[in-house]
This record gives sequence, C-alpha cells and structure tokens, in this order.
Amino acid sequence: MLETKDLTKVFKKTTAVNQVNIYLEKGESVGLLGPNGAGKSTTISMISTLLPPTSGEVRFNGEDALKHSQRLRKVMGVVPQEIALYEELSAYENMRFFGKVYGLRGKELETRVQDVLELIGLTDRKKDAINTYSGGMKRRINIGVTLLHEPEILIMDEPTVGIDPQSRNYILDMIRTLNREKDITVLYTSHYMEEVEKLCDRVYIMDHGEIIASGTNEELKSILSNEETIQIHVHTLSPAFRDTLSKHGSVRKVTEEGQGYKVIAPKGEDLLGEVFELAKQTKTKITGVAIQTPTLEDVFLHLTGRTLRD
Amino acid sequence: MWTVFKLQWLRLFKQPVLMVTFLGLTLLFVYFLAGAQGTQTISVPTYSEELTSEELNEWIDRLNEEETFLFVESDYETVYDNIRMNETAFALGLTQENYEFLIGREDMEISTLIQYVDQIFVTEMRLQGVETDFGLTGLEVTEFIEIETRSHAAAVSSGDRYRLGIVVGMSLYFSVFSILFLMINLVEEKQTGTWNRLIFSPLTKTKIYLGQLTHYLLAGMIQIGLAFLILRVLVGIDLGTNYLEMGVIIFSFVFAIVSLGMLLMGIVNTPQQLQVVIPIVTTSMAMLGGAFWPLEVVTNRLLLFLGDLMPIKYGMEAMVDTIVHDHTLSQLIVPLSALILMGILFMGVGINLMERVSDN
Ligand SMILES: Nc1ncnc2c1ncn2[C@@H]1O[C@H](COP(=O)(O)OP(=O)(O)OP(=O)(O)O)[C@@H](O)[C@H]1O
Ligand SMILES: [Mg+2]
Repeated sequence: MLETKDLTKVFKKTTAVNQVNIYLEKGESVGLLGPNGAGKSTTISMISTLLPPTSGEVRFNGEDALKHSQRLRKVMGVVPQEIALYEELSAYENMRFFGKVYGLRGKELETRVQDVLELIGLTDRKKDAINTYSGGMKRRINIGVTLLHEPEILIMDEPTVGIDPQSRNYILDMIRTLNREKDITVLYTSHYMEEVEKLCDRVYIMDHGEIIASGTNEELKSILSNEETIQIHVHTLSPAFRDTLSKHGSVRKVTEEGQGYKVIAPKGEDLLGEVFELAKQTKTKITGVAIQTPTLEDVFLHLTGRTLRD
Repeated sequence: MWTVFKLQWLRLFKQPVLMVTFLGLTLLFVYFLAGAQGTQTISVPTYSEELTSEELNEWIDRLNEEETFLFVESDYETVYDNIRMNETAFALGLTQENYEFLIGREDMEISTLIQYVDQIFVTEMRLQGVETDFGLTGLEVTEFIEIETRSHAAAVSSGDRYRLGIVVGMSLYFSVFSILFLMINLVEEKQTGTWNRLIFSPLTKTKIYLGQLTHYLLAGMIQIGLAFLILRVLVGIDLGTNYLEMGVIIFSFVFAIVSLGMLLMGIVNTPQQLQVVIPIVTTSMAMLGGAFWPLEVVTNRLLLFLGDLMPIKYGMEAMVDTIVHDHTLSQLIVPLSALILMGILFMGVGINLMERVSDN
C-alpha cells in the first residue's frame, strides 16, 4: 500500500538516504532499525510528504504520494521523534486542536479526544499543561495526538526514546494492540533492537543511508544461522587474550563487551576447548562462558562490524 | 486556517506577558516623553523697563487668560543673564505701546508664542484706542461673527506636532517590538515540530501561513489600537476622530511589519538569533524613521534616504497627518501605498527564503 522507489536525499554534501526501497502492506508492522544518523528520520520525513526527495519516489496505492499528498495525509498519522506539541497548552487543548486540523468537529471530536486520552492513560491529567508532564507522559501524548483521526497508517520515529522501561512497555503494548486489533499498518523506527524484535513482523536494517538487510526476524537471524555467539567473561580484561582469539582461524569477530569478550564463530566448530587453552596461554582467568542464539543486535554487528548504539 | 488562527489566540491568552509588557512600556514612555510634557505649560519670563509693576501685572493677567503659556513676572537683568547662561530660551519684553522678544536659541514654541502675543496685543491696542478716542472704560470684545477654524494646520504649533510625533512614534516602536517578538512563535513551531505536524496534516501550507499571519496582523492592530485608546482616555492625548483613516493606516503599517517579520525569519531562523536581531532592527528602524526625534533635525543625506525605506516613517507620517491635518484616505495614498508595497515585497521574499531553508 505504501512503498518507496530508490528514495534518495542529499543534503549539501551528505547523502543522508541512498536508494532506499521499502514497502508496507496493509496491516503489517514493519521496523526500521539503525544507529544514530543512519537516515531513519530523513526517510520518514520523505515518506510522510514533509521533505521532497532528491530523487526517487514514494508511492501510495500505486500513485505518486507527493503529487497526491492529500490522499496520503488524510489516512496517515506521524509521530515525530521530538515532542511536537504546544507545551504551554494542556493535553486536552492540544488534542482538540490537532483533531480539528484533521477535520473532526463537535461531538465526534469530543468522543475521539476522550477515547484517546483513555487509551494513553492521561484522562486525569488532561487539563494540565504539557510542560508539567514527565518524559513518559509527554511521549504518550505525542503519540495520542496522532491517533485522533484513526489513521490507517501509523509512522513512528523513535517514539520511546529516552524513557523508563515501564512507560516504554506501556507504549509498545499500545502499538501492538492498535496493529493487531485495529489493523493499523505500522512503520516503527528505533535503534533498540529488542523493541523492533518484539513489535514488528518485518525489519529493515539501515546504516549510512542504505538498507543493508531486510526480512522477518527469523530471516534476518538466519543470516547468522551458521554461526554462534560465545560470550566469555573474564576476571580481568586481557588484550593479549583478545589478540590470540581474533587470530584464531575459525573466529569471525571478537568484540569487547562488559567484563569480557563476544566471539562470533561458525557453528559446529569445537571452539570452547581451544578458548580455554588460549586463556591459559595468556594467563587469563575465565569466570564464565555462554553460548547464545543470535539477536538482531548480533546481525547488525555482523553486517557492519559495529554495535547499534556505537 | 481559522483553526490555526484560533489556536494562536489561545496560546497568546495563556502567555500574554509579552504583549502586556510592551503595551505597558508604550504607555510609560509616551507618558514621560510626551504626555507629561503635554500638560506642562511653558513659562515665559516677562519684564518691562517702562511699565510700572502694576501695569505689567495687568498685562500678565491678560496674557495668562488662556492657558497655552504661563507668563511670569521678571526683570530685564535676570532675563538677560538667564538667556546668556542658556537657562531660558526666550523672554517677552513689554513697552508702553509695543513688545519685544529676547530669543536665546531656536525653539519649537517660538512661532506659536509670537503669534499668540501678537494677537492679544493687537486686540488690546484696538480696545485702548477706542477707549481713549471715545472716553469709555471697561470695554469688552463681543465677537460678532463666530468663525470656526477648520484649518488646524495654522493652529497647531510645531511643538504639538513634535509631541504627537513622539506619541505615535513610541507607540509604533513598541508595537513593532511586540509583533516581531510574537512572531518568534512561528520559528519556534518549526523547531519544536508542531509546524511539521501541521504540514503533514491535510491542512495546506497556504492555510497554515494565513492562519498564523492573520493572527499576528490582528494582534498587532489590537496592540496599537489599545495603546491609542488608553493614551486618549487616561492620558488625554488628542488623537483626532478620523477612525476610518487611522484604522486603515494601522492595518497597512502592521501588515508591513508582519511582512518584515517574515523577511527576518527567512534570513535568520533560530529563536535565539531572532531575539538579538529584532531589537537591533526595530531600534535602528525607529531611529532612522524618525520615531525618536523629528527627521527635520537630520541633515545627512544617507540617513534621510535610509529613513525613506523604513515603514515606521510612513506610518508615523500618515498618522500625524490624519490627526493634525485631517488628511483623508486619498491624501494618504503615498504613505499607505508605500506601506502596502513594502509589505508585499517583504512577504514575498520572506516566504521564499523560508521555504528554501526548510527544503534544502
Ligand atoms: N536538515 C538537514 N540538513 C543537513 N543534514 C541533515 C539534515 N537532516 C539530517 N541530516 C543528516 O542526515 C543524516 C541522517 O540523519 P537522520 O536524522 O535521518 O538520522 P536518524 O537515523 O534519524 O538518526 P537518529 O537515530 O539520531 O534520529 C545525518 O548525517 C544528519 O546529519
Ligand atoms: Mg531520527
């Protein structure tokens, strides 16, 4: 229903988005995962007809979305990355205003406002100015304002950034409910892979303006299906140990993580014995070893050599 | 469009501090610079070397019958010294059948003073002539024909014009401040993202701009209107009764200023920078445009030319002409079209710059 074709945006010198092709089917929940500066917000701005692309296009139901922007705008709800609200006004006033902007009036407007306030759990604080809200509450109303006109497509740019786990779960549950029960199509942007893993049917991984991988969670993880991740905890970090590890023939990648190292290696190789051997040689005391199934985080690491939150 | 318009009012009512402050400043400044002076009469030291003190007092009483000036008894030596020390600007000297002025320096009031004294003298001399010719005493003048003077021009002293210039100039100066500061809202909206929320909503860009701009336009007009109303009712400054003309001038002026605001925001696009730029622009415009002192005192060609480019100059000119000379709209066509043209030009360039910035 919504797709991009070679979408590209060049700011003076930086190519923020490069030949991006993504699509959303009705009722799907799709994640756009990438580190800071990957070009997620820029992509979303172009999809939501805010920013004209340098080249490429956005198509909505087969039509050029920029030429017929009104059709898309009516059924789309965009949650910006920042809190885009009139902070000196109350939640209620903000909602009434944005509801009217989408053509709601009178009784209908009032019921929608009450329903959404209920949904985001802010009914008892509705009369307070937004600037008196906590971070989590601001995030919730930032989303709520977007739901008033019952959008068919919900585009969210890191809607949970910088809030506590409790508020985050509340928001994630809410989005999941909207997607599953109201059949709302969701495009969800984040750099938290757990969120995307939990919420989305399909995921695009973006880095340096390009889509570097895409597919369902399982498909993506199967990129690593021939590999496994060994987590080694050590008493004191030892560069020598790390060195010998990475020089080992069947080790793909070694990264330092916390009080230890993360080793990616092909499955089936009996590496563990050798790991202990190497530790002994370099006089490193191993305090624990764990073998994990890969996460999206590992996929990203595998693809780029960097962690998502670098 | 009206949704956006109404929202801006709601926001303004929630945070009216800015507007109220500038209104207060207008009143304060006008009151001290012009209002207070307006009620204070100018005193004229009066002396005579020929008349007795009684005769002199009689004259002084006669001269003080109208309250334009306050004539105070003095003597030649004091007056002469004061004028030399530049403590008095002028003094009136009386002789048996004539009068003279001692003038130390040019002053706005002198021509009015001369006119006034001359008029009284002529009347009195006539009366005295009749009295001595016919041997009568205690004659009074009855006016046979009441002539209503419609040409205010002659009756208004340059001092009045100057004072009115300050009243109008100050009111406009502060209103420019508050309109431009209020308009920072628009840039803030672009920063906080509420502007974007509106852009990707079904509202068209034109409607969003129109909603915003009509709000600033109306807020500015109300600000000036309110300032004038208060000045008139509470301070008692005569601002004439040409409401239609004043309304049209206020509208054109505020339109030019709102457009100027758009131009500034096209060039400078963060609220922080605007907070620096606005006072500079506003104040230099007021100086060049003659809101702080009459342009007559400026001789530098370049400054005068720059003054010609300032909307505030045309706003003031048009208002003073309407108040003092009862100029009608057709007589105001030059300043009004200057304002409207500037408005259209600034607005066009401003919106273009703004859109280019957000597109890059
Ligand atoms: N208006 C702009 N002008 C110039 N460069 C820009 C502009 N907006 C974004 N960029 C650049 O484009 C690149 C992508 O930015 P974008 O905001 O899309 O990243 P993001 O994936 O949303 O990152 P984050 O997770 O931090 O939100 C960055 O290098 C950024 O500096
Ligand atoms: Mg972003």
